[in-house]
Amino acid sequence: MHAEPSYNKRREALSSVRRNTLVLFVVLFILATFAWAGWANFEYRRQANEKMLAAAAMQGELVADPVTGTMQYNSPLKGKPAPAFVLEDLSGKKVSLASYKGKAVLINFWASWCGPCKIETPWLVELRDQYASQGFEILGVSTDDIDSDNPKTLASEKADVQKAVTRMHMQYPILLAGSTLDHPYGGLDELPTSFFVNRKGVVVAAQLGLTSKDDIEANIKKALGATK
Amino acid sequence: MSEPASQQASVSVGHHQVWVPHPRRVLVFAARVGLHELCALGLGVLLFFVTASCAVYAQSDSPNRSILKGAAVEYLYPEQVNVPASKPTTVTLHFRIAPGMHINSNKPREDYLIPTTFSIPVESGVRLDAATYPAGSDLTLPLDPTEKLSVYTAEFSIEARIVAAPGDHLVEARLHYQACDKDACMPPKTITVPIDVIGK
Repeated sequence: MHAEPSYNKRREALSSVRRNTLVLFVVLFILATFAWAGWANFEYRRQANEKMLAAAAMQGELVADPVTGTMQYNSPLKGKPAPAFVLEDLSGKKVSLASYKGKAVLINFWASWCGPCKIETPWLVELRDQYASQGFEILGVSTDDIDSDNPKTLASEKADVQKAVTRMHMQYPILLAGSTLDHPYGGLDELPTSFFVNRKGVVVAAQLGLTSKDDIEANIKKALGATK
Repeated sequence: MSEPASQQASVSVGHHQVWVPHPRRVLVFAARVGLHELCALGLGVLLFFVTASCAVYAQSDSPNRSILKGAAVEYLYPEQVNVPASKPTTVTLHFRIAPGMHINSNKPREDYLIPTTFSIPVESGVRLDAATYPAGSDLTLPLDPTEKLSVYTAEFSIEARIVAAPGDHLVEARLHYQACDKDACMPPKTITVPIDVIGK
């Protein structure tokens, strides 16, 4: 008589433990799945971030100036010798960067179809006039497509660049690069892009996209002031 | 009160002894605590993981504007079209431009600007009879208020009149464009517009 209730109680307790065991394992399984998904997501993001940083190291990045708040181009070429080049100008004459050693040089990458370049160019023309006497020169490097293998196409492409040069009164040397300098100068994914080179041939500043005449002038002074 | 030896367990990690609850103890705990409390505990832990994931996600985003790169224009749809074979049919193709960017319309106001054009390679089984582009909207850059540009922004569509040969054709059409934002321009680019054209 006394044994039966005790047996039922034990049976109920056992059933409760079994049910809770099942619930516990289901909850643990769900938690483990979420933990794994979280870890996999974290790993994926970490790898993507590493790839992005590696690419940024090649190309540089835009960072906000803590004082002015303007975006500054932190180029990996800063503090390094400007990558050498020899390019043809519009008349077919070879021009090398090395031949400008001893001068402060602004290498300005632009294109005839680039709207912001059209806004920037008059500033460059004025600044060149202003600082030329101190040993400053601008090399306008056109990134317009150049098909050197096809003389007919080449003539038409050169004519397009010449039209832009005339339209914008660019009185400084214009060199034709096409995409040949994309790699050494960090991708050139945006135009205009400018590198300011001091008299020793070292890049002292860089600008990406349209900034302001004042910013350009400050960097020209930096390039000129590097002389000892 | 000391616990029975069978309900105590520890694992050696280096020189340290780490206490690990005996499985039976865990079950007894679960039975005492009850199903609802256990689920609440599980949800709490879950919430912690979600919050932690969000924090990691937030940290991974850089506050700086990134350099423009990649494709500024994305082809949206259609992926597949059914058209009567050998009969000119108009298909509307939808595209999206990245936020803050614009591309020249098919008829930019200045001849030195690169127009947006759509093409279908020959020998793809589908011929482009004509393409109708939307009119561009006016855009004036803040630093050059004298010039009005004719551009596409956000989403736009092109009506392509095509003639398909009978059969299934995986067409790799092309969209050529040149994109800028207010401060900089990207080099001209051609993206592939993949469309499965079934001529019946």
